[in-house]
Amino acid sequence: MSRLEQQTFDRKITRRDLVKLFGASAVAATGIFGASNKAFAQSAAHVVILGGGVGGSTFAKYLRFADPDVKITIIEQYPEYITCLRSNDVLVGMHTLDELTFNLDTIRSKYNVNVIIDRVVGADFDQKTVRTQKGEVVSYDKLVVSPGIDFVYDNIEGFNEQVADTTHPHAYKAGPQTLKLKQQLENLPQGGTAIIAPPQNPFRCPPGPYERISFFAEYLKKHNPTGKVIVLDPKDRFTKDVPFKKAWERLYGYKTDNSLIEWVSGSDGGQVTRLDPKTNQVQAVVEDFQADLINIIPNQRAGKLAQNLDLTDESGWCPINRHTFESMRHDEVYVLGDSTIADAMPKSGYSANSQAKVCAKAVADTLKGESPGRAIYSNVCYSLAGQNYGVSIAAIYEVRDGLIQPKGDSAGVSEITDKPAQPILEAVYQKNWHREFVKDVFY
Amino acid sequence: MTNNTLRLSGLCLSLSLFAGTPAQAQDDAKSSSITAKLGEAMAQQCAPCHGTNGQAMTEAMPPLAGLPVETFERAMLAYRDGSRDAVIMDRVARGFTDEEIHAMAIWFEKQPYKAWQNTELEEAYKASEAAKNAMGGQQ
Repeated sequence: MSRLEQQTFDRKITRRDLVKLFGASAVAATGIFGASNKAFAQSAAHVVILGGGVGGSTFAKYLRFADPDVKITIIEQYPEYITCLRSNDVLVGMHTLDELTFNLDTIRSKYNVNVIIDRVVGADFDQKTVRTQKGEVVSYDKLVVSPGIDFVYDNIEGFNEQVADTTHPHAYKAGPQTLKLKQQLENLPQGGTAIIAPPQNPFRCPPGPYERISFFAEYLKKHNPTGKVIVLDPKDRFTKDVPFKKAWERLYGYKTDNSLIEWVSGSDGGQVTRLDPKTNQVQAVVEDFQADLINIIPNQRAGKLAQNLDLTDESGWCPINRHTFESMRHDEVYVLGDSTIADAMPKSGYSANSQAKVCAKAVADTLKGESPGRAIYSNVCYSLAGQNYGVSIAAIYEVRDGLIQPKGDSAGVSEITDKPAQPILEAVYQKNWHREFVKDVFY
Repeated sequence: MTNNTLRLSGLCLSLSLFAGTPAQAQDDAKSSSITAKLGEAMAQQCAPCHGTNGQAMTEAMPPLAGLPVETFERAMLAYRDGSRDAVIMDRVARGFTDEEIHAMAIWFEKQPYKAWQNTELEEAYKASEAAKNAMGGQQ
């Protein structure tokens, strides 16, 4: 059990807290001055959301659809959110970070959601309160946690958070590291070598590393045609590998002597075991490699907040009820998105958005004393194998035999066809998808 | 009304819910009956591409809000049986039964044909209510 979780709170919720949350008139009107937390809960349920990213923001919006009266609060550490979605685009100048930056202003105003910018440092699941760094204690009836992911560095000697923050950015959360990696790609000497090392499963955005590999190759083709991308992969398969590799053949000479991409699978010794940040050498299982640019994407686990709040199990991820996304570890607590164990659903923004909608209905139903309805989820991931070449994976999901599984015959990746319009249309839809997706989340 | 009366009526309410809901819920889970609520829940899954409540007006992926029931159904069935060219909609359509497609069709038909950014929350509540009524008032 974490230290944070053991901490108890030294003060009960006060009128000041409530006024802050809902305004003086609301507190006066409900007449709960001096009442216990429980009485307050009965007069109007309060749902508190930790994390204002894709899962948390979607949840707030769709809970408002499901219940016009419930009180909703989001506690989010940062005033702005940069989507990891499309952040590979920034590496090759298709998007700027500014274009991927969103805030909760519309969620606050259109959907009547209280937004607190502060960091949560602990929760008391018996008292049903969370505590923030600034000392706020916020009581809840239902707590929804959407904490994203955390990186694990301990399997690669010489690679750690500090190295990632300085010389070897993983750039797998959009931000300053993204810009640093962009610069490294642009500074790659003519004929130079870039190494990209994807993580072991499971990880956020399974096609993300392979889209990045494609973008690097496309960049080299144009600006540095004698350069090369070597992929050191701990795995033998990856998502959409058939359409990705077909695209690499069509666009980057994959499988020829002049290929811009060389992919070393896990079986061929692709697992990186050591990085020397000073000499830019990596050791993989069978061979050492020297490169001009090394981009290691670390293994992952549930976000720090999920760990600190004791929502993870021994796998490092959060077990949930597959029908509602309620935590299996604590009552009245729900977990959304990348940090959850959601079986066949990939850790994608689309999945988090989908889960948030099902969970919002389940929470609204439970608060009304009704049983939650049937859970049907979906995921569509579009990736670019080149700026005008898209590949996709899609599925509808249901709970069957205790697991989230594809429903009907829906699961599948882009077919390989000789229709020239197919990958172009996929690329058009990919760009369309991102524009609409962020609106569904933040507007 | 005193606090005691409030508590008492609250108790009666929860007792009556307890008497009615669990058995009904079990039936729902077991039967394949498609409720208006499920129609809405499934339709909401389309939003990342087609806009909140199907109200995306400026993209290659078309708006679904306000589509006549038959138009939506015809498209989905053609995607599902492969008779209509698709990028991903063939895969998506294969995830749904006829009844599920019908429930989504009814729901989308009732959504206002305009961009979501220009739509008030109140209009969305009304559209949701209208869809439920169109499904025969099933919840």
